[in-house]
Amino acid sequence: MVAMEKAGVPTVAIVAQSFARAWQACVDGWGQPTAAYVIIPHATTGQQPDFIRNMVDEQIDTIVQGLIAFPTDRGQVSVQSSGGATEVFTVEMDASADGLDSVNRFLAERDWSDGIPVVPPTPELVERMLAGTNRAPQDVLMVMEPGFGVATVEKIAINAVMAGCRPEQFPILLAAIDCLAQPEMNHRDMQVSGHTEAPLILVNGPIARHAGINSGTSAMGPGVVNSANTAIGRALRLCLMNIGYCKAGTGDPNFIGLPTKFGMCIAENEDLSPWQPYHVDRGFQPHESAVTVVTVTGPGDILDSGSRNHEDTLNNIAQLMYYPGSGGGGWIRGWQSAQVGHTSQRVSYPGPYHPIMLSPSRAVILAEAGFSKQNAQEWLHEHCRVSLRQAIGSRGVPTDAQGRWLHHPELQALEDDRKATIPMLESPEQYLLFVTGGTTHYANFFYGTYGIATRPVEEF
Amino acid sequence: MKLQIMSPAADRVNFKVPPAPRLASLEGKTIGLYNNVTGGADVAVDRFAEQLERRYPGVKFQRYGGNLREGRPALSRGVHIDEAEAARIATEVDAMVGATAH
Repeated sequence: MVAMEKAGVPTVAIVAQSFARAWQACVDGWGQPTAAYVIIPHATTGQQPDFIRNMVDEQIDTIVQGLIAFPTDRGQVSVQSSGGATEVFTVEMDASADGLDSVNRFLAERDWSDGIPVVPPTPELVERMLAGTNRAPQDVLMVMEPGFGVATVEKIAINAVMAGCRPEQFPILLAAIDCLAQPEMNHRDMQVSGHTEAPLILVNGPIARHAGINSGTSAMGPGVVNSANTAIGRALRLCLMNIGYCKAGTGDPNFIGLPTKFGMCIAENEDLSPWQPYHVDRGFQPHESAVTVVTVTGPGDILDSGSRNHEDTLNNIAQLMYYPGSGGGGWIRGWQSAQVGHTSQRVSYPGPYHPIMLSPSRAVILAEAGFSKQNAQEWLHEHCRVSLRQAIGSRGVPTDAQGRWLHHPELQALEDDRKATIPMLESPEQYLLFVTGGTTHYANFFYGTYGIATRPVEEF
Repeated sequence: MKLQIMSPAADRVNFKVPPAPRLASLEGKTIGLYNNVTGGADVAVDRFAEQLERRYPGVKFQRYGGNLREGRPALSRGVHIDEAEAARIATEVDAMVGATAH
């Protein structure tokens, strides 16, 4: 709506109560904190038409007023503007219970933390973190939405300190943010969608061991053994909140939320995997290090104790990869669209990618049966299917003026065939097979939602 | 003891959009109705149109959302109005009312 205001058109938005703070955060970021809107008590999804009409009827006068009268000022946007130099604050600490917690309170009162204790980002610790990279402190990696915050190396370092990262882990965090900076990541939608999704960081190459990331037993779990995994994931979330201004309930309007939003960072168990590492699939050399970020919801557990051979294992995964309403077959509408920056420039990207975390033992079963990773991906692509009619659904598919499908016209002849099925995902590589964890009969899978990107990690 | 800590909050891109001029009246105007193709958003803007037409019989409407205009971007939950599309819509309407499912 702010784009329309910018084009000279007065607007009023109809917004549900639960979304009001998110709406305000959004228009703040778009540079028009006074953008006019009216509030209805409930989101309209799933409501009966008469219920929606009654809610709108209550607001007709206010909507009309919003089109003929300038909106009132709702106060200043909280904008951090340091003019280049990062603000430094002095906090009193002592050994009392309150004194020990004073930095945490200081940060939490300003909504600058995740609410639980952090490492105080002192200038000395930040400088030590910056020594972990060759990048200059004021280098800008991206402008992070929805708050359009400027992600400098220094700001990222401050948040990394708070999260408990060590300098040798810092290049991984920087590479993860390099990934988010790629337009095909669609980081805007990842940040502001009411749907629940979170960035999953996948690490490959020698940097994983150097940074202390656990890729063995309990690689996605808690504990001291996973301190690097946890700290890097937490650091990215702090950046998304403190640099992107994606704060729970405002810039981040997830109505229910997702516990994995706290942070997810794992490495591939390259020592035990029978296949080439994932970053090699993405065009890197085995001796190079790279980070992949993929936007996901989940994960779910794939218990595979009943399988007796490779087809059992793949079939087990395939059956769990589908649920009604998961958007399977959505590729018939063409590639997804992402928008970036204040102009909302559009880019198209293929997706989603569904990461499947295979234990080394599951991967070995497939490899021993002669399946390369690509064979396994092709098997899943062939066997995970959805009915064409279901994929078309109530949304339909884009057509030209003559009613011809704009994308995949070769499938249009099957439109009325109730038995016609199509692959759930467009391409085999969208089944992102990643070997991690201990040698057991489990696997996890995530549903990919938006984009994916892989970027190199600077050499150490 | 006194501890110095650095602000983790980023500078924001300084971007300001002043409100568009408001209309003197809605009489005879064309109102854009935008929904982002999420559940019930179309019902909400259609209801507004229905009620507005009772008050201002000469008012006209243009609908946006989905794939309504050939050669123009489909607008949806994930595909918002960009600058170029906003400039085109501005030639077609005098004001806009929008709804999302949220």
